[in-house]
Amino acid sequence: MAQNRWLATGNFFTTYREEQRIFLTHLDRLLFVGLLVGLFVWPLFLEVGNKYMLVIDNILIAMVAILGLNLLTGFAGLISIGHAAFVGVGAYTVASFSRMLGDTHVLLTHAWPLMILLAGGVGAVVGAFVGLPALRLKHLYLAIATLSFQMIFQWTINFMEFFNQGQTISIGRVSWFSGRVARQEHYLFWYYVCLVIVVISGLAVRNLLRTRYGRCLVAVRDNDRAADAMGMHPGFTKVYAFALSGFFAGVAGALHAYLFRGAGFESFTLHQSISYLAMAIVGGLGTLVGSFFGPTAMIMLDLQVENLSEFFKAQFSAALDLATALRPLTFGLVIVLFLMFEPRGIANWWRIVRSYIKLWPFRY
Amino acid sequence: MSYFLQLVASGIVVGSIYALSGLGFVLIYKSSRVLNIAHGQIIAAGAFITYALTVWGGIPIYISFLMSLIITFFLAMSVERVFLRRLIGEPIISVIMVTIGLMSILDGLIYMTPFGAENFSFPEFLPKTPISLGGVSISWTQLVGVIITVILIVGFTWFFKRSTLGISMRAVSDDQMASMSIGISIPKVFGLAWATAGFSAAAAGGIIGNITGLNFDTLRAFGIIVFPVVILGGLDSVFGAVVAGIIMGLIQQFAAGYLDGNWGLSGTADLLPYIILLIILLFKPHGLFGIHEIERV
Amino acid sequence: MKNKKTMFISILLAFLLILAFSSPSMAGETYKIGFSGAITGTTSDVGVPYSKAIEDYCRYVNDDKLLGDDKLECLIRDDGYETEKTKRNFEDFMDEGIVFYLNYSTGSSLAMGKDFDEEKIPTITASYHAGNLAVSNYAFLPIVSYTSQAIALAEYLVANHKGDTAQVAMFIHPSAFGRAPVEDLQKAIAGGLKMDIVEVVEHGKDLDNTAMLQRWMNKKVQYVICQTVQPPVATMLKSAQGLGVIAGTYGEAGKLTFLGLHYAGGPDLVALAGSAAEGFFWTTSYKLMTEGGAGTDAQHALAKRYGRDEATANSQNYTNGVQVIQIAVETMIRAKAKGKKITRQALYEEMLAMNGYNAYYPLTTVGPVTYSKTDRQGVDMLQLYRCQNGVFRPVGLPFAFTAK
Repeated sequence: MAQNRWLATGNFFTTYREEQRIFLTHLDRLLFVGLLVGLFVWPLFLEVGNKYMLVIDNILIAMVAILGLNLLTGFAGLISIGHAAFVGVGAYTVASFSRMLGDTHVLLTHAWPLMILLAGGVGAVVGAFVGLPALRLKHLYLAIATLSFQMIFQWTINFMEFFNQGQTISIGRVSWFSGRVARQEHYLFWYYVCLVIVVISGLAVRNLLRTRYGRCLVAVRDNDRAADAMGMHPGFTKVYAFALSGFFAGVAGALHAYLFRGAGFESFTLHQSISYLAMAIVGGLGTLVGSFFGPTAMIMLDLQVENLSEFFKAQFSAALDLATALRPLTFGLVIVLFLMFEPRGIANWWRIVRSYIKLWPFRY
Repeated sequence: MSYFLQLVASGIVVGSIYALSGLGFVLIYKSSRVLNIAHGQIIAAGAFITYALTVWGGIPIYISFLMSLIITFFLAMSVERVFLRRLIGEPIISVIMVTIGLMSILDGLIYMTPFGAENFSFPEFLPKTPISLGGVSISWTQLVGVIITVILIVGFTWFFKRSTLGISMRAVSDDQMASMSIGISIPKVFGLAWATAGFSAAAAGGIIGNITGLNFDTLRAFGIIVFPVVILGGLDSVFGAVVAGIIMGLIQQFAAGYLDGNWGLSGTADLLPYIILLIILLFKPHGLFGIHEIERV
Repeated sequence: MKNKKTMFISILLAFLLILAFSSPSMAGETYKIGFSGAITGTTSDVGVPYSKAIEDYCRYVNDDKLLGDDKLECLIRDDGYETEKTKRNFEDFMDEGIVFYLNYSTGSSLAMGKDFDEEKIPTITASYHAGNLAVSNYAFLPIVSYTSQAIALAEYLVANHKGDTAQVAMFIHPSAFGRAPVEDLQKAIAGGLKMDIVEVVEHGKDLDNTAMLQRWMNKKVQYVICQTVQPPVATMLKSAQGLGVIAGTYGEAGKLTFLGLHYAGGPDLVALAGSAAEGFFWTTSYKLMTEGGAGTDAQHALAKRYGRDEATANSQNYTNGVQVIQIAVETMIRAKAKGKKITRQALYEEMLAMNGYNAYYPLTTVGPVTYSKTDRQGVDMLQLYRCQNGVFRPVGLPFAFTAK
C-alpha cells in the first residue's frame, strides 16, 4: 500500500529508519518550516515594546537552559538542583574575559559567537566534573550533590575578588556586520541570536535522541543495571549527561550575560535553580517539546500574574498587601493545580492534541 | 581553652536546633520519599502563629507555643490531604514540584499578614542573665530551646520505636506494597507524617524566632539551611538528623571561630557544611545513618 | 475524573480570560514615575513600607493638585530583589514613557547604571552605595552614601573615644551592599583616622554569635560598626546580651559599643532585638517619627489619610520612600514653574540645580537635599541616634558630612 506522506492516520512503519524520522509526515515538516519562518519574520511586522522583547529573549534563553536540564533530569533521570549554577558558569566565563581584558575588548564584542561556544565548553567541563559523584550517588542524594555545587558556586562568586564579589561585571555592546548594536536594536538582535541557537539546539537534541547515545540516556534512567547488561556504560553515560547539560547551560549563561550586558550573582541563585526545575516539570520532563513549553508557560504566567495584581491594585487602592500577596499565591496555585491534574506537564496536552488531529475525524 | 569550650557549647546549642528543624524533613521523607521544599515556610508559620496567639490573643506564651504546635499539626495534615493525597503514585519529582508550588502559596498567604512585611519579637519571658559555667555561657533562650529539642526528639524516637502508629510509618517507608497488604492505610500514614513534620517545624519556628526575632526572610531560610544536615544524617534517620545537626553546628562554630578573620577568609560557616557534605557523600553516599541501599555502577 | 478535568480546564480558561482583560488602563495625559523594588522576597520588610509611601504620596499629589491640572502616575512594581525583574520593569517603564525612575537594590543599581545613562533618565536609588554614582551620571542618592555614613560614624567614634587607639570590628552583609564602606574606611584610617579595624566579619545565617563576640573581646575590640540589615544585627545583639558585653555607656571599657549605618538600625531593630537593642548607636539622615515636629505630623497625616497602620506610619522606610518621591515631584513643580516641558532632561537639570538657595527641604530629613554636578548625594547631614528604653533618641545635633 502506497503511503500517504502528507496525512498518516496511523503507524505504517515497515523499517526502523522510518520510525526514527524527525517528521512523520510532509505536513509536519511544512508546519515546522512555517513556524520557523513565522518566528523569524514576525518582528518585522509587529512592533512590541522593549519589555516584551526582553521577556521573549528571556524565554528563549530559558529554553536553551531547559533543553540541558531536560536531558539531565528528564531523559537521564538525574535530578539537578544546581542548574542555575551551571548557567552561571557560562555567564561568568564571559564575565571573566571581560574582567581580564576589559569589557569592550574585541574578543568580547566581535568574537561573541566564539565566546558563547567557549562558555558552553567550560560549562560542559564543569558539568562533567560535578557529575562525577553520579558514579556513586543516586536519586535525591545526587540532587543534593548538585545543591552543594550550587552553594559552592554562590560562595565562590560572592567572595572572590576576581569575580567582583558578586557585583555585576559589565560586558560591552557587541558588534555585528552593520556596526555596533545600539540600545534600541539590542533586544531584537539578541532575539535572532537566541532564536538561531534555540533552533540549532532543539534539532541537535532531537537528533541526539535518535542516536545510540541518546537512547543510552533513557536506558540508564529506566534501569541502569539492565543498561549495563546490554553493554552500555551507565557511569560514563551519567557523566556525559552532566557534561551535555552543562554545555547547554553554559551557552544559556553566555547569552544571559550578553543580553543583560553583565553577569551578576543574583541571577544564578538557588531560587533560580528551583525555577528552572519548575519550568522543566511544567513543560513535561523527558519530552523535547516540554523544553519549549515549560519556559514559555512559566515566564508568561509570571507576567500575567503581575498584570493581575496590577489590576487588583487599580481596583482596590490601598490594597497593596493583597496585590503583593497575590503574585506568589497565584503562581504557586497554578503550579500546584496543574501538577495535581496534569503531572505529566504541558507536553502531555501537546501529545493529546497531536493524536487527536492525527486520527481526526475518528476518535480511535 | 574556654574559647574552645564556648565554641563546643554554642555548637551543640545551634546543632540541636538544626536537628529539630531537620526533623520535619526526615519525617516526611521517611514515610513518603518526598523532599519538602516548603519546610522553611512551615517553620515560619509556626513561629508567627505562636506570636499571634501570645501578643494579639493575649495567651501566655507557654500555652500559645503548645497551641501553635497543635494548630500546625492540623495545618500540615490538611496540606497533605488537599494537595498531596492526589499525587500518591505519581513520579516523585512531580510531588517535589508541588512542594515548590506550596512554597509560593504559603509565601503569598504570609505576605497577606503583617508578618510578611514587618519585624516582631516575642515578649521576653526568660531571665536575661546568661548561665555561666567556667567561662562558658549559654543564654536561657538557648537552653530552653535545647531542652525542648531534646524532649521532642526523645519523644519522636520513642514514637517510632514503640508505638503502633510509628511502627506502621516505618513499615510504609520500608515497603509500601507489603505494608498495604497487612492492612496499613498508606494515605493515613502520609497524612500523619506531614502532621508530625508540621508539629516539629512549629516547635523549631518558635525556638528560632525567639533567638533571631521574627523576620520572615530569616525564618524561611531555615528550610534550606537544614538541607545539608538531613542529608549528612541520612534522609531517613531521626537519630542521624540529631547527630548530623550537632556535627554541623560544631563545624559552623569552629569555622566561624577559627577560620573567619584569618587568612582573609569570611563566611566559611555558610559554605563549609556543603563541602563536608560533598566529601562525606562520596564515601558514605547514604549519609551517616541512612539505610544502605548502595548500588554501584 | 473526566468531569473534574473539564471543570479544571474551564476554570483555567475563565482565569485566562480574566487575565486577558486585566491589563492596566490609562487615561489622559499624565507624568509617569516608575518604581521597582523588593515588595516580596529578600528585604521586603524595607521594600513594603517604602513602596507604600510612594503610592500614598503619589495619591496625595493628585488629590491635593500639587501639579495643578497635571496628573502624576506612579508605576509601582515588585521585582523580588532580582536584577532580571528589575530590568524587565525598567524596560516596561521606558516603554510607558516615564520621566523619573526610582530604583531599589544595590545589585540592580550597579548593573543597570549604564541603562540610566543611555536613556538619560534621572534615577534615585534606595541603595546608598557610592558605587551607584560611579557607574552612572544619572544616578542620585537620597542621602549620603554608606561610605560617608561609615566615615562619619568612625569620626564620631574616634572623637569621643578615651584612651589608646580605638579597636573596631566591622559586622557586614555578605554582598556589595555590606562591603561598600569597608575599603574607604580603611583608606580613611591610612589617612590618619586614629582607629584600628581589627576584623571585618561577613555574617552568614547565624543562630549564635557568642564565639565571634568572645573572640572580639579577646582582641580587645571596643566598638562594632554594623553595615547590614536588622535581623543579623538583632541576633548578634541578643548573643551579646547573653554574654553581658553590651556597653552601658558610650565606649565603656571591657564592653562592646555597637554602632550601625542606616539599614542596620531603627525601630525595626528594636522590634527584633527587644531589650538587647538598648544602647545601640545608629546614624541616618532622617528624622524619627517618635521625635515629633512638622515632618512627623505630616507623615502621620499622610499615612492616616490613606489608611496605613501604625507600624507603617512610624517606619523610617516609609519616611525614606516619601522623601524620594518628594524630590521627584519637587523637580516637576520647579520645571513647571519655569515653564519648561516636563521631560527626563528637564527633570535631570532641575536635579542638578537643586543646591544653594535652591536646596530642597523635605521636612522629614535632618538637612536639606542638595544636588549638583559634583555632589549627587542628597541630604549631606547626619544625625546620631541612640536606643534608650526601646526608642531611638537623638544624640547631639545633626552634623554635616560628605566623604571626599
